[in-house]
Amino acid sequence: MNLELQINGETARVEAGQHDTLLTVLRDQLQLQAAKRGCNQGVCGVCTVQVDGWPARACLSLAHGCAGAQVRTLEGLHHTPAMQALQRAFTEAGAFQCGFCTPGMLVAAEALLAREPAPDAAAVKAALSGNLCRCTGYLKIVEAVQAAAAALRQGASA
Amino acid sequence: MSSFIQAVGASIPQLDSDEKVTGRAQYIADLWRPGMLHAAIVQSPHAHARIRGYDLQAALALPGVRAIVTGDDLDAAHRMGAFIKDEPAFAKGKVRYVGEIVAAVAADTEAIARAAARLVRVDYEVLPAALDPELALQPGAPWVHDDAASYVKVFDAGTQGNVCSRTTLSEGDVAAAWAQCDVVVERRYQTQAQAHLSLEPCGALAEVDAQGRITLWSANQSVFRVQANVCESLGLPMTRLRCQTPRVGAGFGNKMEAHVQPVLVRLAMKARRTVRLILSREEDFETVRARHPFVIRMKTGAKRDGTLLAREVELVLDGGAYGDDSPGVLGYALLMNVGPYNIPNVHAHGQVAYTNKMRFGAFRGFGVPQVTFASEQQIDEIALQLGLDPIELRRRNLKTGNAPWFCGQQVASNGLTQCLAMVEHASGWQAARAARAQRAQGDKRIGYGVATSAHIGGLLASGAIVRMLEDGSVLLNTGAVDIGQGSNTVLTQICAEALKIAPEQVAIASPDTDGSPYNWGTTASRVTYVAGRSVVQAAAEVEKKIKQHASEMLECAVDDLELRAGGRVGVKGVPGRELPFAAVSGRAHWAAGGPIIGSHSWVFDQKTVDPKRAVATGLPFSQIGIFSFTALVVEVEVDILTGKVRVPRAWSAVDVGRAINPQLVTGQIEGAFVQGLGFALTEEMVWDGGKLANPTLMDYKIPTFAELPEVLKAYIVESHEPTGPFGAKSVGEIGMNAVAAAIANGVADAVGVRAERLPMSGERILQALLQPAGAAA
Amino acid sequence: MALTGYHRPATVDEAVALLAADAEAKPIAGGATLVAMLNARVIEPPALVSLAGIAELQGLSAAAGGGVRIGAFTRHRDTAASPLLVGTLAVVRDAAGQIANATVRNMGTIGGSIAFADPGLDYPPALVAAGAEVEIAGPDGRRRVPAAGFFIDWYTTALQPGEIVIAVHLPPADALGTGLYVKHARVAGDYATASVAICRRADCAVSVAVGGCGPAPLASAEANALLSAGTGDDIIARAGALLQALADPLDDVRGSADYRRALIPRLLQRALRQAEAAPEARA
Repeated sequence: MNLELQINGETARVEAGQHDTLLTVLRDQLQLQAAKRGCNQGVCGVCTVQVDGWPARACLSLAHGCAGAQVRTLEGLHHTPAMQALQRAFTEAGAFQCGFCTPGMLVAAEALLAREPAPDAAAVKAALSGNLCRCTGYLKIVEAVQAAAAALRQGASA
Repeated sequence: MSSFIQAVGASIPQLDSDEKVTGRAQYIADLWRPGMLHAAIVQSPHAHARIRGYDLQAALALPGVRAIVTGDDLDAAHRMGAFIKDEPAFAKGKVRYVGEIVAAVAADTEAIARAAARLVRVDYEVLPAALDPELALQPGAPWVHDDAASYVKVFDAGTQGNVCSRTTLSEGDVAAAWAQCDVVVERRYQTQAQAHLSLEPCGALAEVDAQGRITLWSANQSVFRVQANVCESLGLPMTRLRCQTPRVGAGFGNKMEAHVQPVLVRLAMKARRTVRLILSREEDFETVRARHPFVIRMKTGAKRDGTLLAREVELVLDGGAYGDDSPGVLGYALLMNVGPYNIPNVHAHGQVAYTNKMRFGAFRGFGVPQVTFASEQQIDEIALQLGLDPIELRRRNLKTGNAPWFCGQQVASNGLTQCLAMVEHASGWQAARAARAQRAQGDKRIGYGVATSAHIGGLLASGAIVRMLEDGSVLLNTGAVDIGQGSNTVLTQICAEALKIAPEQVAIASPDTDGSPYNWGTTASRVTYVAGRSVVQAAAEVEKKIKQHASEMLECAVDDLELRAGGRVGVKGVPGRELPFAAVSGRAHWAAGGPIIGSHSWVFDQKTVDPKRAVATGLPFSQIGIFSFTALVVEVEVDILTGKVRVPRAWSAVDVGRAINPQLVTGQIEGAFVQGLGFALTEEMVWDGGKLANPTLMDYKIPTFAELPEVLKAYIVESHEPTGPFGAKSVGEIGMNAVAAAIANGVADAVGVRAERLPMSGERILQALLQPAGAAA
Repeated sequence: MALTGYHRPATVDEAVALLAADAEAKPIAGGATLVAMLNARVIEPPALVSLAGIAELQGLSAAAGGGVRIGAFTRHRDTAASPLLVGTLAVVRDAAGQIANATVRNMGTIGGSIAFADPGLDYPPALVAAGAEVEIAGPDGRRRVPAAGFFIDWYTTALQPGEIVIAVHLPPADALGTGLYVKHARVAGDYATASVAICRRADCAVSVAVGGCGPAPLASAEANALLSAGTGDDIIARAGALLQALADPLDDVRGSADYRRALIPRLLQRALRQAEAAPEARA
């Protein structure tokens, strides 16, 4: 193993060629398959993970370039209040159909809610602008993120 | 025992929600097997060429390469095709489009497989290519298929030369009708190839067992079509192949017929190992299929009072290299070209041309978005010329009540009037149009457009098996693939409602050709209606058997029994005399009668053409489906500096008969609308000679969050279809049909430009704006 | 001597030395462009020299003389949010905020972006309009090149082999002026079909540059002079014509060359009217 990465709060030892991307390592070596491969060009967003707290493209991140960074995938975010509110809200709002874009959406939305507790529709659209969806037409996703934000605020003030 | 909540009509979350929001859903690219090999494809660099030979030496010499298949591993006698058996498993003897699969390599890793694929040498003799569909139909054009007329066909296709199929539908006497028209509109329109762009690329995984029987997993819309296509193209008996389904990342038609399954199975058979093949995004763009480009010549005539009298349409479809679903798309587009209006004299005819491009096939709407773009604009042009409000003109001609469809099929439920009223009201149509000049700001112009459409749900066969398990719960098996639209959830709701149990008491089996009843596929907006009807019938059989047992156990007549909410059967009027399903099932399993199974199987059987009304030639289907209806109003904003068109607000109403799950229904309407936005405004596959110039997401742009209208309202109308499961019809495709047409009408309303081409890009609109008034885009 | 592997120099000098050691080695900044090219097998460099760990390349700072220094490794997200880019310098902030989408802006850097020099990019016209200078380090030392001279041709800059961008230097802002970037694209997040970057000082002096309409941003001193002297439609038309004459656009899926040319005076008009209407301008 020639590389140590910090993935979901744990040290992961992997074998990575210099051209291997974080996406390849996550999926093929660490069995973290929530992040998907949709285009391998950084456009579609289904590979979105968090690097040092910011949404990033796993398909455009070289594995070696991630040494020293804190990488979080959907699998490593289940415990956050924001993610739990989002998962509940997405389910209730019908904010996914085939579900292929959903992990990337949730990861990007979680990062948004961690920074912005009351995003309006425009802010949600801007934050998720890098995530494509072909099934839902986006409307229910925007509604779900705002519903999750509202639920979080209520929970916080309770 | 769980309490029963009414299942039909409830917006319950999708059954697989948990796995999707936790990232645990397993799509084809997530499936692993120990010792699995990885495959990569070799693609043709030529649009048309004879294959003279292969040199696999360098590729085979690469360490880690386990097997390679080429056309030499195929028998020329075996071909597949939904309507015309013109397609080999992959290229044999000839390549017919740039990107066509020519060979495939199985290796220890994907990187090795791809490296080896690059080392495969193919000796080609380049041939002249036919790239334009209208030119391909001219004498002297190079023939894509050396002897297309000799292929097996399932209908009277009229295949010859580069004519893949031809169809004519007529009613009334169009030639005589023109003379009675006071206004006539005639134009030529052109629509583009649109890529499905499911976010999940195509892929498959094939396992060969010790007996040589193959289990094939793939991203698919029909395990049965996969089975048929693989077995036909490889000459395998269907008992040799079992097809199963992981979670599917959408399809929209791309995954309905074969993609990589045939080549992968051939490769797995040769390697005698499990092999997985996942296409890259570029390969998916170039190799699989896309929406048919249409050339449409359309003419419509009306009387001064707004009565539509005559319609003539001629279609030329670019079918690409293989027939695929093309004959169906042509026939269906001709059938639907009139729209939901009473036009007594119609002559509709068309051809599909073979060309040296990728095959064009099923894509949401199946030809209707294309013809509707033309038809609904012609209706508007007539309204304009007659000085009539576009909605008012439509009302005067609208199909209502039980008025039959073009060619005579009976219509039992029709909610179109309500749909139109709904969007007219919600948009504030008249006031909005009157105020549009004031709403314009700076360089933006506002316009409003309306369009209506219809779509069938039905076609071919489905079945259902309902089994009562020992504990009284139920297992439902329909073979219908849930590609994300929620059919597992909807069919579960139908089953639960029929047996008066909670949806949690029903498990739904994954589609498997070994165990599932035949379901033609998740396409043609058919699963809720066709499979749903089977579910209701199969559940009715189960109810009968439950009551038979219960009558013996409770010593009463069968007619005295009723099903009660929560999984019980009891004597009517006597609350205390009842049995839980578990007791009944226990008796069936251990004492008498045998485990309770209900099943049903049927083929949609309502005839499309009434030969007393219409003449049809070369129609590839004789029974197609029942009609859902839609009306759509859009507010359009045109930037007159750049020509760019935007849709700030849209109102879409769909008559779905009955919404089994309203949230899933509005999800379809909204998703289809945005996909329609892409078709209308920004998406276009562009060819550079024979090569696709934009097979990447950098260059081919689908709508993003930013393109979502500020206001997008989906309205459900329920007209209660008597033949549908709990009154339901369909919704999967119809939300797309009218979008480009409504936007085109809105653009004309805003800036007076009439769109004759799609997409209505900023460039095309600006070009028209810079011409003298009345120019078309 | 051939280099292989992934290298993480701590200083500019170390990075330059590594690149000098092997002409095939490539510097990598955010990776947004380079890794996409790797994935597509457009390039296959045997060695990569990461610029991520070099402190000197990080961040935006106020310069001694009143301007702003943007380190080459500054992410678009940070440039788009910088409170230092006010007044006329807001053109750079505005351009940064319209690059691709939010997630890519977390990854891409200004140095990586301008070194790639795709003519559809957003920084080039903004930097030319703002009168920026690009600071370069290489085996022969450091130098500065005005932005207008940095972008030379399709994917070609003034960078010589072995050189890297280390910072972009912006002149002092006119805090009472306006800077904005008008981008016309097919959909949000696409490369520009055509774009106009404009700086308009409080005294009405105007500097514009056009993107996406040729191998390098279009700028004309004559056009700037015209626009600085007056703002009527006829003046805009004349200035637009001057810029059109310099245009050498491509036909591609984003638009034809004719469309791009037609857009130049129209986007110029939009940019100028927006700049005139900006709150700072009216104050």
